[in-house]
Amino acid sequence: MMFRIARSRDGGSITHYDLYKIDLKKGMTVLDGLFQIQDRMDSSLSFRYSCRGAVCGSCSMLINKEPRLACRTQIADVKNIDLKLKSFPAISKVPTGWNPDVEILIEPLPNMPILKDLVVDMTKFYATLESMNLWSDTEPCESPKTQSPEDRKKIERYVNCILCALCYGSCPVNAERAEYVGPASLVKAWRFHEDSRTPEPDRYTTAATQSDGATLCDLIMNCVKVCPKGVAPGGAIRKLKKL
Amino acid sequence: MTISSFEHDAIIVGAGLSGLRVAIELCDKLDVAVVTKVHPLRSHSVAAQGGINASLGEDDSWEAHAFDTVKGSDYLADQDVVEILTKEAPRAVIENERWGTAFSRTDDGKIAQRPFGGAAFPRTCYAADRTGHNLLHTTFEQALRRGIKFYDEWFVTSLVKSDERVCGLTALEIATGEVHGFTAKAVVLATGGFGRVYGHSTNALINTGDGCALALRAGAPLKDMEFVQFHPTCLYGSSILMTEGARGEGGHLINANGERFMDKYAPEKMELAPRDIVARAIRTEVLEGRGFEDEYVHLDLRHLGNDKINERLPGIREICIHFAGVDPIDEPIPIQPAQHYSMGGIHTDKHGATPVLGLFAVGEAACMSVHGANRLGGNSLLETLVFGRVVGQKVNEYAATVEQPDSSCVGQHAFDMREHLQTLLLHEGGDSPIDIRETMGQTMDVLVGVYRKSDALEAALKMIRELKTRFENVSVGRSDDKFNYALVRTLELENMLDLAEVITMGALMRRESRGAHWRLDYPERDDENFLKHSLFTKIEDYVKTEFVDVNLGMFEVKERKY
Repeated sequence: MMFRIARSRDGGSITHYDLYKIDLKKGMTVLDGLFQIQDRMDSSLSFRYSCRGAVCGSCSMLINKEPRLACRTQIADVKNIDLKLKSFPAISKVPTGWNPDVEILIEPLPNMPILKDLVVDMTKFYATLESMNLWSDTEPCESPKTQSPEDRKKIERYVNCILCALCYGSCPVNAERAEYVGPASLVKAWRFHEDSRTPEPDRYTTAATQSDGATLCDLIMNCVKVCPKGVAPGGAIRKLKKL
Repeated sequence: MTISSFEHDAIIVGAGLSGLRVAIELCDKLDVAVVTKVHPLRSHSVAAQGGINASLGEDDSWEAHAFDTVKGSDYLADQDVVEILTKEAPRAVIENERWGTAFSRTDDGKIAQRPFGGAAFPRTCYAADRTGHNLLHTTFEQALRRGIKFYDEWFVTSLVKSDERVCGLTALEIATGEVHGFTAKAVVLATGGFGRVYGHSTNALINTGDGCALALRAGAPLKDMEFVQFHPTCLYGSSILMTEGARGEGGHLINANGERFMDKYAPEKMELAPRDIVARAIRTEVLEGRGFEDEYVHLDLRHLGNDKINERLPGIREICIHFAGVDPIDEPIPIQPAQHYSMGGIHTDKHGATPVLGLFAVGEAACMSVHGANRLGGNSLLETLVFGRVVGQKVNEYAATVEQPDSSCVGQHAFDMREHLQTLLLHEGGDSPIDIRETMGQTMDVLVGVYRKSDALEAALKMIRELKTRFENVSVGRSDDKFNYALVRTLELENMLDLAEVITMGALMRRESRGAHWRLDYPERDDENFLKHSLFTKIEDYVKTEFVDVNLGMFEVKERKY
């Protein structure tokens, strides 16, 4: 099995692709393959990682033109996957020479500036958490709030978001509109709005329906398809758009 | 290239739950900054699954929680520190609930609690099997709310001392490859555990014990390093954690003969005996030929049914499907023990202060000690939030008593560190880091694992010291200044080699079996000689070892049976 990996020493744009031959072992993930390269073939290859168990959200990248977590992607399965994403240039434009039968194509997550190889600048993605004040305002108290299991269930899907930014990287609107806050922060706003414990739920929907928010979403639903945690941001955004 | 320096009152290294909680405590009192090698949300706290203990139940009490913790620790925990942990537990859980953590609920809307190993009451609060994820995201939101300053993706390369006080640190900015100095009155190490010293570990790849190694080099002692927790139920192959909650919800352990074997090892508690006991039971089953493929046993959840698995253990199901191709609704999960938690760490008092002035530690990086020889599940998330607050308060008191150090104290050190890293990067044709790392991992797995004995430990120590010598000739390989992760991982390896040596020294000198430390050649607990903490202090080029007393007082030391 070969990896064809996008390289960018100085950041900005992909300058070329390097080809590596992976010594494939049973159960091996794309992340394992990247470490095999960094450890044994090319120490200059840069990529982010941490938990290797699909909970930390570090290793988001474009694998065979689909935004995925490298740690949760089995090398043996890559060829058989097709998320049927709506196309936009970053995921439709194929580099010359790529042979999908024998090579896995690995590129940085789209819609964010490249800093080095597979490492992208997530500053804007994170900044929306602060600009939209996506936190609870509750003051300290001696007793916990109560919440029925049914009310808790309403937010279950949304609190599972790991902020991996795969939705942001898969969204054709994020590709075109630099100001769009993206699916993850909108779904987080909806999470607080829907939480029965939230004192002022409207402040979150107000933040999410500004001109850089839910109004820009075209309900393309790539975010729902790529989400590794079943958060389905598109569903929440649809509700935000109806407000 | 200029070497700039940054100044703050206090610097926290690490942005997991401990580091964030310290920062939140301090942010309205001091100019505080968090330096972290990964973005805070990528910290290993995010991976904690099962829960956080607090005696919220009407029949439960902090004393009962304290007793379970002390007994679980095989009486090595300091009982005055356990008192703080367990008394403050409800406050810590309630605080995080008010901040927004989506705890699972009982029918009447209270925070739900599940049974966990070694606990007399169901006192483990949880958010499905994603408790760490929920607590970390919530606590990070609160850090953002307070505008805390973060230096994301900076790797700390050394602590700097002046007049025997810590006055700052040097750090590599991963994005640029530049080294900078940071000046501060106080430094708090909240860097987590060192699980990656072992080849098989549930830990994130970033858990390389950097803070412990920094402390050791700065002359602060490490404590109880031989007590390494092996989690009994880790996914065969990748060693990804299968929460104790899976057994708390009723999961069974089954050997290749189809026997529910825990009845031989802990007839009363069965699968919910503490982790050290269950891990040894599984190893024994496999060693005596009752494992599958001589490697693993089964964790069977099938009888729990579809609904319970989907509601209480959805994360476990997802991991099994994606990483092992097994759906626990239809098939048992292949599991084996793997390194999971570091009970030992940087020696501190009950407020997180180390013997080195200006240096503090908290969370898994620290050893206060609340876990003694074996940590109970649900007590580590608790430790981060309780002691994050306690240590923050102490740092605030300390900072009021000292002057801001002169920034010149770090300038020269940053310059020297930059030169040191350049020399390392330019060295060609030496040993490859991966060979050293793999040999270290295998050595620790095989010779310093669940079962230990003198000759194996001697062989391990010899090998680790050989690897340390080889490391002096290591070559990082060709790379760029920007995002040079090969360099970061080589520096992590250097840290881990120092810790591997100390763990093995501790395992050798503790000639008894207690908690997670099991010596085949000394299978009894020996309170007369070893009801003591081990301490390791680096003095020039050797490590001084000694034993110090345990703080007893509340509970009588007894035989530990389940």
